[in-house]
Order: sequence, then structure tokens, then C-alpha cells
Amino acid sequence: MLTFQIAFRNILRQKRRSLLTGLSMTGGYMLFVLGYSILEGSYGNAIDIFTLDNSGHIQIHQDDYLDRPKIYKTIQNRDQVEVALTDDSDVKSFTPRVFSPALAYAGDRTAPSRLIGVDPDLEPTVSRLLQKVSKGTYFSSLPNTDGYYEAMIGRGLHITLKLEVGDEIVLISSGGDGSIANDIFVVSAIIGNKTSFDRMAVYLPLAAAQEFLSLGNDVHEYVLLVNNKDDNEKIANELSAQLPELTVSPWQKVEATFYRTMQADRQGNYFTMGLIIFIVFIGVLNTVLMSVLERTREFGVLRAIGSRPMQLVRMISLETFVMAFISVLVGFLLILPIIYWSAEVGFLLPEPIDMGGIKFQHLKGEMSARVFWIPMAFILATAVLISIPPGLRAARILPKEAMGSH
Amino acid sequence: MFRILLLLCLSLPALASEERAREIIDKMEQLYRGGSSDATMTMQVQTPNYNRTLTLAAQSFGKDYGFFRIQAPKKDRGIATLKRNEEMWNYFPKINKVIKVPPSMMMGSWMGSDFTNDDLVKETQLIDAYSLALIETVDQYKVTLTPKEQTVTVWDRIEYTISKDPLLPLSQAFFDDDGKKIRELTFHEPKEYYGKLMPSILEMRPLNKEGHLTRIKYDDIKFNVPEITKDTFSLRNLKSRF
Repeated sequence: MLTFQIAFRNILRQKRRSLLTGLSMTGGYMLFVLGYSILEGSYGNAIDIFTLDNSGHIQIHQDDYLDRPKIYKTIQNRDQVEVALTDDSDVKSFTPRVFSPALAYAGDRTAPSRLIGVDPDLEPTVSRLLQKVSKGTYFSSLPNTDGYYEAMIGRGLHITLKLEVGDEIVLISSGGDGSIANDIFVVSAIIGNKTSFDRMAVYLPLAAAQEFLSLGNDVHEYVLLVNNKDDNEKIANELSAQLPELTVSPWQKVEATFYRTMQADRQGNYFTMGLIIFIVFIGVLNTVLMSVLERTREFGVLRAIGSRPMQLVRMISLETFVMAFISVLVGFLLILPIIYWSAEVGFLLPEPIDMGGIKFQHLKGEMSARVFWIPMAFILATAVLISIPPGLRAARILPKEAMGSH
Repeated sequence: MFRILLLLCLSLPALASEERAREIIDKMEQLYRGGSSDATMTMQVQTPNYNRTLTLAAQSFGKDYGFFRIQAPKKDRGIATLKRNEEMWNYFPKINKVIKVPPSMMMGSWMGSDFTNDDLVKETQLIDAYSLALIETVDQYKVTLTPKEQTVTVWDRIEYTISKDPLLPLSQAFFDDDGKKIRELTFHEPKEYYGKLMPSILEMRPLNKEGHLTRIKYDDIKFNVPEITKDTFSLRNLKSRF
């Protein structure tokens, strides 16, 4: 307690110098928090964009369907999967899908397309398909009065094939039993825009797609959303244990390229933030060294009256720590409203970012405990670390020489 | 002069053997074709992932015209393939569409089987496109077919084995550029169809795809049917003859 008092008093001795040093630490902390929050926020945003647009938080497939999709790698024990998913309280919603490449015809025009069979009722609980209808109406699971099933096509197909809502689209593909799948569908809606990942996709109601591809009741994929997206890897592991014969992949595996890029980018950003802190602390180190140097006589006296060298080190560390702590606390109070605002409102972008037909107007930050405490811990630890060399210098002082110096 | 004579003497047997091989292969090719033919066959496709059985009606006229139509299962009923010279079209009744098989798809699977589109189109032109070499054993002829310089093919050579008595095909082995056997067509269970003896079962086995096998069984085949003429093999008939 005494050491603490002395440390505190020493800080207040040179008020202006302490204030300036403190301010540089406060500024460093605020920059760190803001950068971290925006970084995590924009990643969170990007992750939401594609997980909610298409990939979901977790996907379930048969074998290595994810890496080597083959039409016959289907999930057959659907009841078991659906029971497991319904029973899991962490799972918010799920939906089955089937896929196949297909050749699309309209009149004399042809285009390669990607057939995606989705459950018209369950799909909107997992993805933004319903919101992405830009023309026409969302399809139903039943065939129309002429016996044709409805299809929704991507904007790219709409342009390439000059297809409008109500037109017929012919699809040819190969079925799960080796047969040649061929049928006519009626376009009920156009989806997304030219940059959507599904611009060349044809969405079919699940039952129609299964019949078209001769898949019976099988599906290729289950996509699910979880209640807390940060837990998705843990939940994927739990589900994997429950469904050992299937492959359960969190989005980090589904979108592995994005995830790796994100991790690399993140490390680059951490390095930049580390650099800011490093520059701040060169200043801090200078301050501490100065204060040690000008108190050489004092330390000589302290040593002479019986202070242990360790006590001196501790005292100097504590001085720096207390100063850093106060600075960080002030910084926290100052940055809190800014982070809150950035998470709620966000920075208005000069041009909205278009992600597959859904527009993002604001760059938003992340508001969470880690955004505050990780920079805090980092700064406090660095403060203690850099105070050690000046402390050792003070501890090595010989009373006789120190008291003789000016 | 002597040299030329010697050369002539040496090459004569070779020429004769090529001629003989040509004759044998031609006979084999004629076996399934006649002047014209009208057949019903069952095609079984076996893979590790699915098994599928199709009933087909097949007609041919000479070596340049062929016509296949799926009769069962119901889902695929009416899907047809027309082959004229080296061109090929598929017809899908459900979508009422005729689609020409592009050259790039010639090595693709025909109707999901282990036979390629190319098998249907070119198989019948062995004697024109390949050089032949004959080896005779006690009860078999072995003809090695190597593609002529101008022939476009993926095979380095084809080994055709034929039994002498009765004179019937036994197997065809297809080798790639590395000399590796890629697939094998075998002939089984000779049966007499209207006085003509021929193997009733053909089995195509791709050796690079484990567990895959396509078996064609001739349920019935008639030869030199007067109703089948060149006109049978028109695009109009492809769409309407059903």
C-alpha cells in the first residue's frame, strides 16, 4: 500500500509530463479500440452477408460432397438429421437443398446454369432468397394448373436467355440414376442482380428438383443458422458427434478461401495496431527513463535507508501501470459512445456496397466486451513490460554514487 | 532386282494378313448390322451408386444410319438418338427438343451408360480408320487395330479377339497412349436370331472406373427389314416416329 501511495505521488509530481504521457496512451488506446471494432465489425458484416445470403452458419453433407460434389452423394436418412436439428436448441432454423449443373434453354438460346432445389417454405428462414425476388413472385411448391413447376432464375440467366416472368425455361441435366433429366418449368420470379453469386442459378421447389434429378426423397445439403453465430464451430462439432455418418462443416470450412483471406488480413491489421502501440510506448519509455534519471539521488537515499532493489523495480512498474490504467480508463469512457454509435448507426459510405442484390449503406463497428478489453490488456501489459528496464536501472544504483550525483 | 523381289516376297504375306484381317473384322461388323436391322434390347447400367435398366428399340441401315429409342422406364420413354454418318442427335419428347451432340461430347457417356456417343457413331468404321494386323492361333484370330495417321481417336490401339469356330467376336480391348488397357468390351452367350448366330450379350467394362459395367442384351434382332430405308433416319422421324 505504501508503494502504491509513493507511486501515485510520483505521478502527480510532474503533472504536465504525466498528463501528456497519459494522453498519448489514451489516444493509442482509443485508436486501437476503434480500429479493432471497425475491423471486427466489417468482418462480422461480410460474414453475415454470405452466411445469410447463401452458406448459412453450418452445412451438412454426405461424405466429401463439399469438395467433390457428385449427384449421387446424397443424404438419405433425412428424418434422423431433421430430428437432431429440431432437438438442438442452439439451432435457429434449417433447410434442405439439392444441386446440379444444368443446361438451360429458352427459344434458341442456351446457357449453362446451376440448378438449386430449395424448400419454398423453409428456405426463407435460413437465407435471404425471398427478399432477393426483384421481379415476379416467390415460387410455390405446387405445380401450376398446366402441370408445370415454377422456377426462379438469376438475373444473369434473365439477361442471357431473354427470359421474362411467365416464360418457359427448359432444363437438361443428368439425373442421379444416370438418366438424362429434361423438363420444362415456368419462370415465376427473377432473383438478385448481375453480381449475385446466383446470377446463373435456377431455383426449383425441392420436390420438383428431386423428381427432375431422379433423387427420390434424398437431398445434397442441409443448411442451418444457429442462435449465436460465434458458437458455430462448437455447435458443428456437437452435431458432427450426433451425425457421425455425415460431414458437418461450419462456414469457416465452407467458405475456406474467404476465411483464410480474412485471417491473413486480420493478422496484417493486428500488426498495424501493434505498431501504433509500439510508437506510443517509445514515448512512454522515454518519460519513464527521464523520471528515473532525474530521481537518481532519491533512489540513492531509498537504497541507503534499506529499500530492496526489487521494491524499486516494483515501484517504478506500478507508477507506469497506474498511469496507463488511468489513461485507458479515460480512453474507455471517451471511446464508448463512439463505438456505440458506430455499431448502431455506422459510418455512412459514400457509395453503398452491393452484396448479391442486398445493399449496405453503412460501415459498422462491433460493440462487444473483447473490443474493449483486448486493447486494454495489451496496453497495460506493454506498460508494465517497458517499465522494467528503467526499474532495473534504478535498482542497480549504488547509494554512494547516486547521492553524490546531481 | 533380287532385292525388289525379296521385298515383294516379304511384304506379300503382310498384305495378305491385312486383307484377311479386314475381311474378318468386316464380317464381325456385319454381324450386328446386316443390310438393315431392327432390334429390341435391354441395357443394364451398373455403377457403385446406382443400377438402371433400360429397354431400347434400335434400328440400323448400312453402317451409316442408326436409330435408338428408349421404351422403358416410363420416365425416359421416348428419348431417342439418331445417328447419320458421323453426326448424332438426341431427342427429348418431354421438352420436345432435338439436340445435336457436339464433337466435344462424342467421348461423353451415351444415356448414362459406359458406351460413349463415339461408340455409336464410329465403332462401325473400324476397317476404314484403322490399320490392321492379324495374329492367328489354333482357335482364335487376334486383330490389332492401330489408328491411321489421319484418324482422330483417343485410342492408341484396339485388340479385337475373334473365335474361329463359330466365327464370332469374343472381346475388344481398348488401350490408351500409355499402352494401358482402359476398357474392355466382351461378347457372351451366342444365340440364333432368325438363323443367324451371334452373341446375345455385350458387356462394356471401363477398367479405370471400378464397379462400372454396362450390359446390353439383345432380346430380339431381325435383319434386312424392308420397312427400314434411309428415310427412316430423318430428323423429322426422330421427332415424330413415336
